[in-house]
Amino acid sequence: MPESVRALLERFRPPVSVRTYGTVFTDTTEFMNIGYGDVIAVGGRHYLVMGDEKERRFGMEDPKFWVKRCVELESGLYRILKLEFQESFDQHIGALTITCHRSAVKEARILRLVAGDPSFMQGAGVKDERGNLVRVLERVAGRRLDLNIEDLHLDHRQYFHEVFPGILERFLAACRAISFLHGHGETHGDIRRDHLYVDHKTGDYCWIDFDYGYDSVENPFGLDLFGLGNILCFITGQGVHTIQDLDTGALGLTEADCALFFRHRVVNLRKLFPYVPEDLNRVLMHYSAESEVYYESVPELLADLEPCLDHLRRA
Amino acid sequence: MDFKNILISVDASDNALRAVEYAATILSATPGVRVTLLYIERAPNRDRFDTEEAWLGQCKLDHQRVFDFLKTARARLLDAGIPDAAMFERTVLCSAEPSVAQTILDVQQEGGYGTLVVGRRGLTKGEEFLFGSVSSKLVHNAKNCAVWVVQ
Repeated sequence: MPESVRALLERFRPPVSVRTYGTVFTDTTEFMNIGYGDVIAVGGRHYLVMGDEKERRFGMEDPKFWVKRCVELESGLYRILKLEFQESFDQHIGALTITCHRSAVKEARILRLVAGDPSFMQGAGVKDERGNLVRVLERVAGRRLDLNIEDLHLDHRQYFHEVFPGILERFLAACRAISFLHGHGETHGDIRRDHLYVDHKTGDYCWIDFDYGYDSVENPFGLDLFGLGNILCFITGQGVHTIQDLDTGALGLTEADCALFFRHRVVNLRKLFPYVPEDLNRVLMHYSAESEVYYESVPELLADLEPCLDHLRRA
Repeated sequence: MDFKNILISVDASDNALRAVEYAATILSATPGVRVTLLYIERAPNRDRFDTEEAWLGQCKLDHQRVFDFLKTARARLLDAGIPDAAMFERTVLCSAEPSVAQTILDVQQEGGYGTLVVGRRGLTKGEEFLFGSVSSKLVHNAKNCAVWVVQ
């Protein structure tokens, strides 16, 4: 074990045991070389690396080598360090390809903007010795919303009447949080159902991971609104419903009932669940292949969606 | 509104050049027209660039592209017989809000332009949902003027 790491561990006695010890990094440029047992020293603090974070989607695990699970030696608290990794890549939404960029500067700026707001993950950007912008993040004490919903063992009718109104209420608050970002000229950039967490203590929703950015376009909030629509369809339907899994003939389903970008995903949920109120279904249909009218701002979406909650509460 | 007071909104794209060429053809036989080429400048997203120098380099490239485009556009109008003295250029800076379309409409109202000419990219429904369409917004929101949308 290098003397420098040994001294740190003896001084701070972290709440975890580490099998092997590595190096103290003050320059995080070569993040692939930073691994288990190393220490990252930034912002006057020391972070013992426990491993790389993984993206878990659709049963697959994808390591994110620039995101490190750490313990802050000074406090013993768990932290996630996102190391600077500037890249541009193509993102596919249905048949569309969009060039996207990952920006540490953007995420650090938003972290400053939302400091203290429980609707967003918390943390701060600090520079390493080489000037790389490292984001030191608090671990969200919660679980992904979509996993919570998938674990509910209720039929849809019971879910819709007993659980969904509470979920919608919190989702509306999450939409208002996105509107707050937009009001400050920022976008989340990567709104997906696995980027929305439920706080263990309060049950409130918390957005994570906002380092994606895009080139300026006429409707700068379109991608965020697309993401919100996908989540709304998911929470309303208690999951995704695809035409492959349904009796399209019996239900009278056509392509017009499916999502604009995912032509197999049903958004006209009233055809599957006739007790979904017309006003809520109308909001969902803005995301359908047949829609000619789209939401351009979150307040427009909220203006249609908030009365739906009142309606559900009264029913 | 003076319908012979023409505003052609351009970027440096082929669609914009088609709009200029169309306007040049139509206006060549029309005496007394005044034509303004409007460029709405929106800086590339700074977050996309590693360094200030890289971002400034892209800004310069964009500027040069537009400068060249405006020269070409002016030449086409001149060839069509629009007098040089009846041609004007205007550049307006625009950030994310208000949108490009709204900025064009603000210029149109302030300048009393009776005819607005734009090119159209021909977006799919999906692209229009995600990115928005300047020409669609102009058609929907323009007041007191004719809108020529050229594809």
